[in-house]
Amino acid sequence: MATYSLANERLRALEDIEREIGTILQSAGNVILELSKEKANERLLDRQAAAFTSSVQHVEAELSAQIRYLTQVATGQPHESSSYSSRKDCQMALKRVDYARLKLSELARTCEQVLET
Amino acid sequence: MAQQRVLPQSKETLLQSYNKRLKDDIKSIMDNFTEIIKTAKIEDETQVSRATQGEQDNYEMHVRAANIVRAGESLMKLVSDLKQFLILNDFPSVNEAIDQRNQQLRSLQDECDKKLISLRDEISIDLYELEEEYYSSSYSLCDTIDLPLCEAYWRQDLTSFSPDGLSAPLLVSPAESGTAPMQGTAPVLPHVNGPGSGPTEHA
Repeated sequence: MATYSLANERLRALEDIEREIGTILQSAGNVILELSKEKANERLLDRQAAAFTSSVQHVEAELSAQIRYLTQVATGQPHESSSYSSRKDCQMALKRVDYARLKLSELARTCEQVLET
Repeated sequence: MAQQRVLPQSKETLLQSYNKRLKDDIKSIMDNFTEIIKTAKIEDETQVSRATQGEQDNYEMHVRAANIVRAGESLMKLVSDLKQFLILNDFPSVNEAIDQRNQQLRSLQDECDKKLISLRDEISIDLYELEEEYYSSSYSLCDTIDLPLCEAYWRQDLTSFSPDGLSAPLLVSPAESGTAPMQGTAPVLPHVNGPGSGPTEHA
């Protein structure tokens, strides 16, 4: 199933959360870097600190929403359906097409042979 | 609508552990960060000398920063676990993904079959014309497929060539009739009546 190009919305949201965790650490580091300077730029400090707190709260809210959704949706049973049947049918159809192409090429070769003689 | 079902023990404990990990990590990040900012405050009164206090603060900040990074790393692991759990257990999205895949494969299969059917229709039209041409010409008269059963029984060489018995007469008869097209069926009749004269021509 990992080969599906249509990724789930929730999986995309989780990837966004991963990126946001990275920005959390980034902004925390920037705040401390600013503080370590002799002349700290206050506006930058405030902005970074605000970004840090908002990111942390956002990540917490998103993750607890995801976990809540999972508690509602998850059962203990394994998922027992698959797409094998339609995949097999499709494979058979492709084999049919290949066979038809093979027969047509043989027919073409036969016709050429007859026309040559 | 029952929103809270009784989950099996393992799944429920698993989800509770996820919640706990989330709370712990977020708390750790926030606390360590605020402690670093607090430690950055320069105080005039110190219990030990300035240098020692500075060293201690330096070490403390290092440890707290490492804690923040560890908590961030643990959060990433949590997100990865959630993704895995979602893929395996989120039945609505799994069902939807399976349905989409089925639809895709079925439409591909339908397209293949449609193309094959249109090909068959075209070829049948051509085959009709070819058959008309063939059966109305003199070539079909010497075709051994139209022999009555008793004559075919005498054709022992044909039974040995049975796999391509259909194609061989078609290939050979235009070739050998092409050499004497005007003479009609007369030169071909010996080869129909004589079973022994067949093999050399068919080989």
